[in-house]
Parts: sequence; structure tokens; C-alpha cells
Amino acid sequence: MYHNYYTLITGAGEGFGKALALECAGRKMNILLVALPGSELYNLQDFIRRNYDVQVIAIGKDLSEPENCFAMFKEVVALDIKINMLINNAGLGSTVLFSEASIQLFQTQIKLNILATTLITKLFVEHMDCNSPSHILNVGSLGSYFFIGKKQVYSATKSYIYSFSKSLRIELQSKNINVSVVCPGCMPTNILNTLQLKSSGRLAQLSAMNPEQVAPIAIDGLLKRKAVIIPGFINNIFLLLNNIVPDFIINMITQWQMKSINAKNLNTKSSVPPLQYSNTTPHYSLNLK
Amino acid sequence: MKILITGATGYVGNSLAMSLANKGNMVNTLVRNPQSEYVPMHENIRVFEGDITNRSSIKKAIAGCEQVYHTAAMVKLWAKDASAFYKINVDGTKNVLEEAIEAKVRKLVFTSTCGVIGASLKEPLTENDPRISSFNNDYEITKFIGENLVKDYMDKGLLTVIVSLSKVFGPGIETHPVSVNRMIKKVIEGKPTFIPSPGSYLSNFCYIEDVVRGHEQAMEKGLNGEKYILGGENVSYTDFFNMLKNISGSKAMIIPAPKSIATIVAGIQWLKHKITNGELSFTSKGLTHIYCNKAFSSQKAIQQLGYTITPLKTSLESTIQFLKL
Repeated sequence: MYHNYYTLITGAGEGFGKALALECAGRKMNILLVALPGSELYNLQDFIRRNYDVQVIAIGKDLSEPENCFAMFKEVVALDIKINMLINNAGLGSTVLFSEASIQLFQTQIKLNILATTLITKLFVEHMDCNSPSHILNVGSLGSYFFIGKKQVYSATKSYIYSFSKSLRIELQSKNINVSVVCPGCMPTNILNTLQLKSSGRLAQLSAMNPEQVAPIAIDGLLKRKAVIIPGFINNIFLLLNNIVPDFIINMITQWQMKSINAKNLNTKSSVPPLQYSNTTPHYSLNLK
Repeated sequence: MKILITGATGYVGNSLAMSLANKGNMVNTLVRNPQSEYVPMHENIRVFEGDITNRSSIKKAIAGCEQVYHTAAMVKLWAKDASAFYKINVDGTKNVLEEAIEAKVRKLVFTSTCGVIGASLKEPLTENDPRISSFNNDYEITKFIGENLVKDYMDKGLLTVIVSLSKVFGPGIETHPVSVNRMIKKVIEGKPTFIPSPGSYLSNFCYIEDVVRGHEQAMEKGLNGEKYILGGENVSYTDFFNMLKNISGSKAMIIPAPKSIATIVAGIQWLKHKITNGELSFTSKGLTHIYCNKAFSSQKAIQQLGYTITPLKTSLESTIQFLKL
């Protein structure tokens, strides 16, 4: 398609970002991929170029560093293209006890999940204004609703994304910019997640959805201008139950869950499976959402 | 040259062992059962009893070898005990790599599958293309992890090359319940055969002789840490079976089965499995892998290794002749 409008997707190198990029390319949208510089990004660009009838540009940047967000924006402006859709997908997930994780992990998580999303949205909102109607899709998580152990910082960053999106949505309505937030449940985005999922409970397995299943639902919801997109029947049931079940029961469940986490930790001192299959996990993966 | 082949009682490993032995190489094989009818017999082939899940047995077979072809794997789409995939395809591969380092092996060729690369869209896939759908079976997951292990070892003093095969057919031993050869045989015998509907889905069939030569070329010329697709022609199921019927003169019915019907059959199979605890040949999840395009490009191997693809018509003719005997 030879129009000058592009969909910008951050964290597009792999996982959910990749699935979103392929979904958008399939809908004949030109794509601007932003991800960590590396073969994943450029191979995806090449693949989209060969298999879809769209324009595709790739910018390799580590968005967890604020100056790279500004640099990325400058590069996009210099390209003289119009961004009518912004998908803030780049994020770093984790499932780890607060006491066991490094400070650096939390810093990166906050810088990438919160700061980068805020900066990039701020920078591009003005730029998008003249291209209205426009869309912004932020990637939250079902963790924005549920407070579970081992996901303290991650869930909190996603709660930020949720509040940020809903508030910004009200502000930008007058400018004809739609803001949606998608809150996927358990979504294995790389091989390690897939393996972890295999050894987790039946409920997690039942509710899990692949990125390529979630991506079309997310884009459909965005184009329908939904405020919040919850993919999957079971995830919606979870949410419904969460709203109608009294707090003390929810507390009981989470207490029980925390106990089982602690018990597991005692059994297998370092509960993280041996990460010997190293190069299967690039730095930024949207882990279990 | 002294060479170790794992998986020499398998379809590809067996032919490869014979080819290397015929060229005057001393070939060590590591087999679980030396009495198996699939053990390649040749004066240059030495048989070591063992298993890639047992490191000390590898140690004996690998001693003094300069090259290793690691073709051994659990090749199935489904197994009752999924952990066997991990024991054999991941831990077994790690054992072979570790022993190769210790024995100061110079170069190792790892046999993998195009299934790791996944389904294709418009253009045939290359080694670098991203997967467009998530992994959904243990075979492909464990081969993928195996490939990553092999790449990890390229920096540890061992040259490693990965070859990715598509659907292999042609003269050789019959070791699998589901193989292209069996499918061809069924058609020659005039039995009705189901293919995915629409029959326009592309598939890639590679000829055993090309693949065996491809392994040897990968050992000779393959660059360290690189992966090469050893495929054949990309052809639709309809064209493949029409060609097969034309050459063999078979009147077999080729029945395109829609995915919905295959899903029902898979469901019935699963119920039967739950009752009788028998083996499953496919699952409804696995059908996603059949109802899609699987076109691959072997250009990299052709350019860098001198890989050649026998025209499908020629290779089908020899295969039919072999299977008719």
C-alpha cells in the first residue's frame, strides 16, 4: 500500500510485538518497527517486506534509556512519514520474589514499562494530532487488576499503564485520538514462557493465549475504539469473578497462593529453572502478562 | 577419517553411515540395540552399544573421532511421556556436545527440522525468517532448544553446523509409522489417501540422497554456527499426489479432507487413547501444522555448500521403483 501513514510498534522484535506487527501488516498498514537492535528486528523487517504488500521501516533502539526514546522520535520525524497509530508494546516482564530480584531489573522495568511509554506518547501525540483520526494502543496486563505474588513491580507498572490510558483517553477524545489499553492474561511469548506454562496449573494453561491469538483481538478492539480490551473468554470470567467475589475470599486465595510459592521456594532453593537455554530469551520479553 | 554418527538406526542416519563408510571413512555408530535390523552393516562401520542419554557410552564411541554427525532424535508429533522428548532431544544433544568437546572433535553437524522455522506465508522461508506462530508441540520445541545448544557450543572450541530437513523421502529403511515413504506406498498400492483441503497448501519434500550429500557438504563447507535448509521442491499436495499417480499409474483416490473433519477424527482418536491408552498419531493441536503452507528455500545451502536438489519427478521415480520391490 503506497500511502504515507504508518503504525509504530515498539518492542516489535519478538513476542506480542511481532504478532501485532504481522497482524497490522496483514491489514495492509505500513509498519514502523522499533525494537532492540539485532537480527530479530531486521529479519522481521525483511520477512514483512517479502510477504506483505506494505512499507516497513525498522529502527533499532533500547527504549529503556530515555535518551533513546528522544532519538527514536527524531529519526521518525526525519523520515517525513505520518504516524496514525502508535502501539506502546515494549515492556519487560518478570516473575520473581521482590527479595530475590536485582535492583537493576526493577529500574529497567520501570524505565521501560512506565517512562518509555509516557515519553513516547508525549512526543508522538502532537505529531499524530494532524493525522487524525488516530489511535494509541497501550499494552497493559490482567495483572493491572489482580494482585499476585512475584509480580509486584511488573503489575504496578501495568496498573500505571491502565490508569494512564484511561485518563489520557478522556483528554484526547476532543482531538479525535482514540486511546485503548489491552490487558492480556497469561501469554507465552517465548520458549521459556512456553516451558514454564507447561509446568504450571491447569487454570493457567486453560486461560493462556498465544500472541497470534491475542493480536487480532487487540487490533479489532482498538479500531472499534474500546477503552479496555480483555482478550479471551476465561480472562473475562476471571475479571467478572474478581468484581463480584467479596474481598475476604480473594484475600484467602492470594494468601494461599503466596504460601504455595513460599513452599515451592523452600523445596527447590532457587526455583527458577536452569536457564541454560540462554539465547532463546532476548532481553525484553513481555513475559507472562 | 574417523567419524561418529548418532542415530545410525534411523532413516537418515542409516543412509548417511553407509555413504560415509562407502567413501572409505571409519564410521562409529552408537546404537541402543546392536541386534536391530536397522544397524548399518559395512566393513568400515563399528557398532557401539549405548545411548545418547548415557554419557559414558558416548565417550567410548566418540574416542578418536574428528567429526560427529548428530542425527539421533526422538521424532514424533506426540508421545505419552512428553519428558522423553526433553531427555533425548535436549539432554541427549547436550551430552553429545559435551563429549565432543572432551574428545576434541573438530566439527559437528546437527540434524534438525524445518518445523523449527515454522509455517510460511507467500514466499518460501529462509533460515533467518521469524516464526509467525507459536510452538505447539514438544518435538519442535525440543529441536529448537537443541539448535540453540548447538549454537552455544560453537564458541567452545567445536565447529558446529545445523542442517534443517523438510519432509524426507526416498529409498532407505522404514522406521516411522508416519512417513512420506509410507504415504507414497499407500498410493502405489491403490489405497485411498487423505490430504489436507484445500490441496493448494504448499509443502516441501526432500530426497534422501540429496539430504545425505547435504550432510557431507555441510561437514565439509558449512560455516561455524550457521544453519542450512536442506529441502527439495515446493509443491502443493494436489500437484505432488497427481505427479505420484501419473508416474506410478496408480488409481488411488486422493481425498481432500477439510480441517473440521480432521479435527473430529483427532477428537475420536483422543477418546480412543483415553480408553485404551494407545498411541496417538496426531492431535487436534498438531493439525495447525498440517493445514498451512510449508514452503522453504534451500538457496543458502545451494550457494554456500553446493547442495543440489534432484528434480521431484526423478526422485519420485526412483522411490516408487524402490518401494515396489
